[in-house]
Amino acid sequence: MEGLRLCLLCLTTGSGVPVYSRHRGAARQLPFSVIGSLNGVHMFGHSQDVLLSATCTENVKVLWKSFHDSISLIVISSEEDASDHYLHRLMDNVFHAMVMVIGLDELVNIKNVERLKKDLRACYPLIDSLLLASERIGDLVQCVDCVMAHDIPVLQECLDAFIRAADSDFGCLVARGRIVVATEKWWRLAAQEVMLLTWLVASLAPRSSRDYPVYLPHGSPTVPHRLLTFQLVPGVDVCVLCGPSPSLHKVETELVEVFWKPLLEPVKACLRVQLRSFPASIPLHQGILGLLLIKQDQNRLLFTVQAQPGEKPPKDGVGLSLPERRSVLRAFYTLAVTHYFPPERLDERTLPLLEEFQAGYSHSASECYIASSSHKCYALQAEQRQLFLLFQPTVPTFSLRSIATRTLQTFTKDAPF
Amino acid sequence: MAEERHRGPGPGQAPADSGDEEGSEQESPASYTDSSSFSSNDLEPEWLDSVQKNGELFYLELSEGEEEALLPANSPEVPSVNHVRFRENEAEVIPTGQWKEGKKVEPTLKKLSRILKKPQKHVSRKGPTSILKQPPTLKTGGAVQQRYKDVCIYVNPNRLSSSEVGEPASLLHTLVGIIHQSSWSSGRPGRRQGGQNGNLKYTNEEKLVVHGLVPGSSAIKSSQIMIGDALIAVNDVDVSSENIERVLSCIPGPMQVKLTFETPVVEAEISMEAKEKQVQSNMNNLTKLLWGENNSNVQLAFQEIPHIAMYLSLKLDSDTSKEEQEILYQYSMSEASKKLKSVRGIFLTLCDMLHNVTGGHVISSSLIVSGKLVHVAYWKESDKLLLIGLPAEQIPLFQLKNMISDVARTLKVMYGSLDSAFCQVENVPRQDYFFNLFFQRALQPARLNPTASPSTQHYDACSSLLLDNLPGVRWLTVPEDIKMEVDTALSDLEAVDFAALSEDYYDMRRLYMILGSCFFYKGYLISSHLPKNDLVDISLYCRHYCLLPLAAEQRIGQLVIWREVFLQCHRQASGAEGYQEPEARYFLLIVGLKHFMLPVLLEAGGCTSKIIGNPGPDCIYVDQVKATLLQLEGLDVTIEERLGALPSPCLSCADWFLPSSRDKLESFTNVPYIKLQTSAKTATFPTSKRALLMDTSSSLRTRRPSPSRNSGGFDNGSEGPGEGAGVSPHSTPDLGRKYGRRESQGSGSSEGSGGGGTLFKITKKRHTLPNPFNLGSLKKNLSEKDTEELYNVIKITSGPENTLFHYLSLETVQGIYICPTHKEVAQLSGSIHPQLIKNFHRCCLSIRSVFQQTVFDKKKNNLDADTSSELRETGSGLGPVKEHGVLFECCPENWTDQKKSPPKMTYWVVGRLFLQPQPQEFYVCFHDSVTEVAVELAFKLSYGLAV
Repeated sequence: MEGLRLCLLCLTTGSGVPVYSRHRGAARQLPFSVIGSLNGVHMFGHSQDVLLSATCTENVKVLWKSFHDSISLIVISSEEDASDHYLHRLMDNVFHAMVMVIGLDELVNIKNVERLKKDLRACYPLIDSLLLASERIGDLVQCVDCVMAHDIPVLQECLDAFIRAADSDFGCLVARGRIVVATEKWWRLAAQEVMLLTWLVASLAPRSSRDYPVYLPHGSPTVPHRLLTFQLVPGVDVCVLCGPSPSLHKVETELVEVFWKPLLEPVKACLRVQLRSFPASIPLHQGILGLLLIKQDQNRLLFTVQAQPGEKPPKDGVGLSLPERRSVLRAFYTLAVTHYFPPERLDERTLPLLEEFQAGYSHSASECYIASSSHKCYALQAEQRQLFLLFQPTVPTFSLRSIATRTLQTFTKDAPF
Repeated sequence: MAEERHRGPGPGQAPADSGDEEGSEQESPASYTDSSSFSSNDLEPEWLDSVQKNGELFYLELSEGEEEALLPANSPEVPSVNHVRFRENEAEVIPTGQWKEGKKVEPTLKKLSRILKKPQKHVSRKGPTSILKQPPTLKTGGAVQQRYKDVCIYVNPNRLSSSEVGEPASLLHTLVGIIHQSSWSSGRPGRRQGGQNGNLKYTNEEKLVVHGLVPGSSAIKSSQIMIGDALIAVNDVDVSSENIERVLSCIPGPMQVKLTFETPVVEAEISMEAKEKQVQSNMNNLTKLLWGENNSNVQLAFQEIPHIAMYLSLKLDSDTSKEEQEILYQYSMSEASKKLKSVRGIFLTLCDMLHNVTGGHVISSSLIVSGKLVHVAYWKESDKLLLIGLPAEQIPLFQLKNMISDVARTLKVMYGSLDSAFCQVENVPRQDYFFNLFFQRALQPARLNPTASPSTQHYDACSSLLLDNLPGVRWLTVPEDIKMEVDTALSDLEAVDFAALSEDYYDMRRLYMILGSCFFYKGYLISSHLPKNDLVDISLYCRHYCLLPLAAEQRIGQLVIWREVFLQCHRQASGAEGYQEPEARYFLLIVGLKHFMLPVLLEAGGCTSKIIGNPGPDCIYVDQVKATLLQLEGLDVTIEERLGALPSPCLSCADWFLPSSRDKLESFTNVPYIKLQTSAKTATFPTSKRALLMDTSSSLRTRRPSPSRNSGGFDNGSEGPGEGAGVSPHSTPDLGRKYGRRESQGSGSSEGSGGGGTLFKITKKRHTLPNPFNLGSLKKNLSEKDTEELYNVIKITSGPENTLFHYLSLETVQGIYICPTHKEVAQLSGSIHPQLIKNFHRCCLSIRSVFQQTVFDKKKNNLDADTSSELRETGSGLGPVKEHGVLFECCPENWTDQKKSPPKMTYWVVGRLFLQPQPQEFYVCFHDSVTEVAVELAFKLSYGLAV
């Protein structure tokens, strides 16, 4: 187990045949006997009408989840900051990523395990990108990471026209895994679908254009759609979700050039705001290190851990490193969401797999903070928006609230997100 | 003090199992002679015949005041099946009863005081006996017959004699309320299946079939006795139509009797596993005893809740093919729990496998049983595994982890190891009792104390989850002089200097040395002379047996608990600096009287004589502790005064901060405050402070005009000095006088924080400042000036109003915590406030779990520091959190005004952790109108409480 940070096992539920296993960190295959007994206890519980969902030891967490009585996922994590909340989300995402790539039918009616194994290889890039500690947070929040570019109206207008011309309603502009603009219909897809589509585009090897069949895990899990992507500049793709027509060739030759050539500069500018996720012109308090802003009604979020525009990457030993900042914000988000803030949407899940601690409160929480010796965090929830801020430890605790309120105001009024 | 008492032996009084029966049989002649020699001596303590074979004693007498209404309803300590009132053989019934009757006439206290008045005589007669011999170990009533329906009912022969004198009706009819007509009874043969007790002499006497129930009688109230049932035993004494009147006439006074019935329905259940049946019937009685509720409802309520406690062996003998051989002990009774039991293989496999693979112990599992998420916590010890499963809805996982470690610790204190706690057969019923209480505390905390006032009940219910698992005892600060008096009394006791125990007197070593003692009043710790770990051990024991809430109500007539304990810190070999703990044995003696409880920790075998076998409580020590209690008895007035005094620090009620409830509350709260004012005069607060305090509370009540306050801004500068006038219509004359004086001082509401004229300016300044956060520095200046005053007094929040709603301060080093008393909370009734208190405690649970992680990480880092630091660079989650706060908002319920949106009240729950210089945790709940610096609050709290 040494060196193993996270291991994901996929087995067939009925026979317990291992389908694949993916790792984060130094990979060493778990002995088959261990995999067998891990699956065995879960199956035994199932036969007794008891659903084993999680077990933790002093240093490791193991979670089980089976989907449609056909595919079982087991995740083993030795990372201290991996919460149950995150691991459940991860398994959910992984399964739906599998659905997205090969469709639900193949996963539910497994006729040939060997063939399934082969088919599922296509999912590996996407699953691996979910397993990798990423710079994005959409996998945890179940919203899409976005970027606030400079010329949003221009890009939006162009995108809308382009998508209309391509005979579709669904399209978006993605810059390094974050959405810059998208059509209105795109936002109406399920949050997980939007998130997975974006991650899928980011996980695939860069191509100038691509025609990729996708199943929408919630919208159409059995009938594939076509996802067309076109690279405008390296790192920025425009995506179209459509039916059998139009052909890739037609769109590529007739539409892309026409619509996007004039906007090359604004498109390139999208990449420049990448680190901060929003333009440097938006003022932020000096003490803010990181920011996570979630717009719940639209399933969008802004996430950065380099909130100060001119900031040099932190030196070793001084303050929090960037991965540490991400880790703190993720942990703080999880704490606030699992312990305090009322759940934003009713999950379609029927089984209460996770402890609903907030259900016990008689009053609802709207803000919370933590202060530690290396950092401070503040969370704020108001009208479909959640704001999580990471501060320098030097910012006085009593001023966190006013800074947070002001920051939220900035993003609702001055520069609406 | 009432004349008659009800008494009952406690949970420790497990029925002796058949294996030990023989041994005790041999002993019994000696014991009986002892006991008979004592019975001639009217100084024999009442609890003596409750002492068990292994020396343990759990003896509880309730005072008459608690009588019938309470008795069937609650008091977990009056246990269930184990009532041993008479000897099991019929022959002994009458003498025992008569003996008891004669003895019981004397009020206990009078007798006690007599003992104290003539100690010399007492010693000369009794002393040698108790030092030379071990007190007699009496045989407890034989194995309890579990196969039939046991019904515990309350009977009161006194009442009978007063009301129905001369009526020739049978006692069965009048006392119990069962109508039996002998002519009706069919000549059914007495088919007694449980004959293994050697009681088969029961043959052809007529059976006592219930033909009817007397309306209003105890029998009908119990709602468990059915027509057609046959009464076969009273308190385990076989009865028939022959002897029933004789048996019943032996009931000396008001008491609980156990009636055993044979029911036609039972036949089906008999086929069930004996063990299960036992648990079930145990439950029947207990639920009834504890909750006074139709037990089928409770059964039903529990039926749906999956909960289990199991002790499993990881070593499996493959030879024996016995079913369930790995289960060494289990406690569960609901259908849902059976499922948990059936998947025990999962726990065993995981425990074994994950330990091998990961090298760490398994801590917990989460499962879904019957659509509910259930957490199961593991506690592994050598090759055994203790499991406790509870639904997540009731018990969050991090709390369950604390609970299982508390359970393991308590059991280890009581039995030395988990093995001896679970694997010895005679301990099984004790564990049943233990876990019964445990699950009831966990699942339905409010029900354990149904007689308490609603607010107390609510406070207990919502705080128990948090407070029951704090490593400390609830502490009550008392004025110096009282503390002094208590400490002196305890020190005197601990000196073991009393004549009877002086070593010169008998020229032999004394039996025990007193290591320390502590003193509880109504469940509050007043003084402790125990090391922290011992104190926590003892408090855990008291908590698990619900002793502390018991004393909160006037219930204890007399409580004597004696048992050997295996204390944590004495168990560990402390090899440091050549000091060795003596190879001693430790005994815990708890004596309770009225609201007082005095646990004493005794050591035997260190510098005192060695103990052989399992001694029972020594009369002299018990008497001496009692004497100390009696000596301190006079304090109850003073301590009660302290409890009733003004809350310190001063608390506000959440409802006062909502405009809607203003009028109602003003009229409501004025009265108690004035009353408090007068009672506070006797307390130790300086007079000047009191006036100030009065103003604080009154200004607080009156300044409620703007619904816009929830904006967080401080916009009530306009309410200036003139506001007192607006209030007078509401206030009583007394209050008016206060206001008059205040106005003459001319600084309006500003006195609230003691600032006098300076604050007036501040009020103005505040008006110009739009943002409350900018007040930070301003406030600091203010509080620096007033530090001294604020520390002494009572209000610890800043700003003119008292915004503190609730607090909790935990001093890990001393093993105590401080929070508002029940009375203080009861004074702050309202509709929102109880919700707030519930919220506060739940939130503290979560905050505390974050802090625990910090402490845990720190420990681990300290360990890792010398080995490797690589692991740390991944950054573990939140990092070392030292302060954590959550803001809640609430609206008044039933907001009827359609036009306006309901006013919002927002408040903070903030926790603060100090690791230096000593670990401390503070939790406060305050209104959002003033920005508080949590550190400041915490310090004020800790100094203000004068720990």
